[in-house]
Amino acid sequence: MKIVEKSAPHLRKPNASVVRMMRDVVIALMPLVIFAIYNHGLDAVVILAAAIGSMVGTEYIYYQIVDYVKRDRTKHEEIKDKIAGFNKQIETAKAAYQEDSNQELYDETVEKLKAEIRKAKDELRAYKQASTKEENKRFHLFNRNFTLYNYSILVSGIIFGLTVPDSTHFMIVIIGGVAATLLVKMIFGGMGQNIFNIAGFARAFIALGFGAAVGVSNHLPVQDDGSAGATVLGSLTSNPFTEPSTFSIWDMFSGIGFPGAIGEASALLILAGALYMFVRKSFDVFVPLVYVGTVFVLSTAVMVQQDIGWWYPMTHIFSGGLLFGAVFMATDPITIPVTRPGRVYFAFGLGVITFVIRLFGQYPEGVVFAILIMNMFVPAIDYAKWSKNKFSLKSSLIFSAVILLTIFAVWVGASNV
Amino acid sequence: MIAKTKRVSDYKQLNKELPTLRYVDPEYVYINLTTNRCEEYRLDVKKGDYVKLGQILGERDGCFFKQPIYATVSGHIEDKVTKIDGTGIEVECITIRNDFQDTYDETITDRPENVIEHLTQKEMVDIVKEKALVGLGGSGFPTYIKLATEEKIDTVVINAIECEPYLSSDYRLIKDQPDEIFNGLKYIMQAVNAKQGIIAVKKTKKELIEVLENEQKRFQDLNIKIAKLGDYYPQGWEIETFKNATGIKVPIGDLPMKHGLLGFNVSTTESIYEAIKHNLPVTKRFVTVNGDGVKFPQSIRTRVGTSVKDLIKLSDGFVEDAGNIEIVIGGPMMGSSVKNDDVIITPTTTSVLVFKSVDYKEEPCVRCGSCVYSCPVDITPVSIMNAVKRNDKEAIKDLSANKCIECGLCAYVCTSKIHVTDYVRKGKSLIG
Ligand code: SF4
Ligand code: SF4
Repeated sequence: MKIVEKSAPHLRKPNASVVRMMRDVVIALMPLVIFAIYNHGLDAVVILAAAIGSMVGTEYIYYQIVDYVKRDRTKHEEIKDKIAGFNKQIETAKAAYQEDSNQELYDETVEKLKAEIRKAKDELRAYKQASTKEENKRFHLFNRNFTLYNYSILVSGIIFGLTVPDSTHFMIVIIGGVAATLLVKMIFGGMGQNIFNIAGFARAFIALGFGAAVGVSNHLPVQDDGSAGATVLGSLTSNPFTEPSTFSIWDMFSGIGFPGAIGEASALLILAGALYMFVRKSFDVFVPLVYVGTVFVLSTAVMVQQDIGWWYPMTHIFSGGLLFGAVFMATDPITIPVTRPGRVYFAFGLGVITFVIRLFGQYPEGVVFAILIMNMFVPAIDYAKWSKNKFSLKSSLIFSAVILLTIFAVWVGASNV
Repeated sequence: MIAKTKRVSDYKQLNKELPTLRYVDPEYVYINLTTNRCEEYRLDVKKGDYVKLGQILGERDGCFFKQPIYATVSGHIEDKVTKIDGTGIEVECITIRNDFQDTYDETITDRPENVIEHLTQKEMVDIVKEKALVGLGGSGFPTYIKLATEEKIDTVVINAIECEPYLSSDYRLIKDQPDEIFNGLKYIMQAVNAKQGIIAVKKTKKELIEVLENEQKRFQDLNIKIAKLGDYYPQGWEIETFKNATGIKVPIGDLPMKHGLLGFNVSTTESIYEAIKHNLPVTKRFVTVNGDGVKFPQSIRTRVGTSVKDLIKLSDGFVEDAGNIEIVIGGPMMGSSVKNDDVIITPTTTSVLVFKSVDYKEEPCVRCGSCVYSCPVDITPVSIMNAVKRNDKEAIKDLSANKCIECGLCAYVCTSKIHVTDYVRKGKSLIG
């Protein structure tokens, strides 16, 4: 028994741990994984396997290489180096002898060195006999920094897989997974250091890199107008203010037989996952609330301006992976601000960008792009000079003014589309 | 997890209602001659001298005040030794061998009520100063300075919150000596001429509320209220107590006196009573011995100057399979851990906690924000930590690290088990 000195506090919260938090995310994602496989069969299995495998594999291989380069040299190698050093000294002594022909000195030096070599060789033999295999091994199956143990890379893999549309070739998925893991996670220094959401980056990477190949398959429910595979958002882009005829709100809510990315379809299951994580306090519920709320308010403004039905905001909320992105990607704590006001600004920014992309642009990946764009602003939001733990009167006033201005801008914008 | 944490659970499942209440008279007491505030001293007795309980042994000399040193038992003076005090620093002590007679010094005489009634603030301050009273909640701040305030005080708040887990010395004190506490409050109110007194206690401590309410009936003529406050941490932090007991928000850094408030810990209140009524310095106090590293946790009433080693021995010693052990003087959230068990009980020692030391596996910060949500002074510990790592003094200042009260919550809640509080502390010292 030893008395040790430590600084206060001397207690730690028992159920606070990264493993618990990440495991909860995996659990919340499970119904979506099952639903994706039920809906898309083998396609979903292949895509998920490619997404998870590429990310986990990349991280694993990366850390194996790092460990190999940085590994402690084994004793074994040290002794071998020593022997090589002695041999070199013998060579030098030989060269010296050639020049000065001092037989005596030469013999003496070589004798001494040979004795040293013998000693080292004995040491090596003794060491080889004594040491277990484990100590001599260069390759360790597990390495310290690999984050599979806390589920973090697994979470990224599953989320990425679920955002991929079903007819995407698995090679594309693998390229996305490898690129995102390397460029976003590893290069920045591993877990906790990444600026961009890893899954989001992977998804955007394949969308930009392979565009058309990342698509929705043709064997999904055929639509009346024959434009098979058009997602709801796609039809909103071509006819912004006409109600898509093929899907009811219920279809979108339940996600049954609904085209889109393999895991984003069912609002019901996403909300169930969100509820689970909320109860377990494993994510910050404010982010999805404000995010979805912002999209709702802005689309309602458009609805009023255009004098169309409630289907309009509902379609925005239940399609295009908004709920999925809001619940699973925008809440990844590593890539969002740390303060409550910061998170509210962040989520509001997400809502505005998502809506603007949808209103004026073509990308069904609006949610992913919004998340990546806002990720870049996180350091600015958290900047020491203005980042505050609580809303002050002044910041609430300014923020309210910004909200009103945004609604006004969207109103004007919608009337000019 | 990612939410505001207000409760510190005593997950080590320790006894809250500690079983035995013992009174312990040690064979030797060690009276500290120096403290962290006073490094100089004068000693008037020498080895072999006989001293009486309450006799002045000498004088500690701080930079701006002097403090008499009192004997807490009667007996013979022995050698000078070096021990550790509750803050973990080494102090010089004088040993007294107890003769178990408790022969009181001649100066220890009761003041009759009719004399006390006519004491002025100045006279009371002099008594308190003379008896060397300090804040017994752990601050150790000289009590007479507070009592001598010239501001107009409306309300005196007695802090009986004891919000850290495992502690129960104030609890015992209230249960056993409510009368002394009320009288102490009465004297304080008389000294500063306050109209109102409030005793703040946790609303979950039903037994204490009952005791206090019974006692209150005997002090009908005084305007004394009992404030039942929520059971969360850090409710006992002065500013939080003031806010919830009186509704007055004292900005951090302001003196509460400016806002008409004066706060005292219950133990301090009791010591003020003893000083004014019986002319006694602090000679005894309740100490909680608790934790999962000690075999028989208990509350002990003991002499000031007792060695912690003795108290641990009395609690059947350390558990066998303990591995590494931490000895914490004070609460588990803010107390300091000491390097060995050669510690003495000073008037400010509330507890001795013995924990099996756990080495937590630290993970990279996941920026979950729990520390931000839980910080009672509304600063952002994680950003301060990052600024400290970058050695960015400007940012540490902008993040107002100096507001930190070192409550320990940020490290307590951290999802990644990082010692965030240490970083914030470092930040505070970096910006001085
Ligand atoms: S220790 Fe300081 S920074 Fe940490 S929670 Fe407490 S007051 Fe805030
Ligand atoms: S320091 Fe700990 S509690 Fe604070 S954000 Fe990082 S992981 Fe969360």
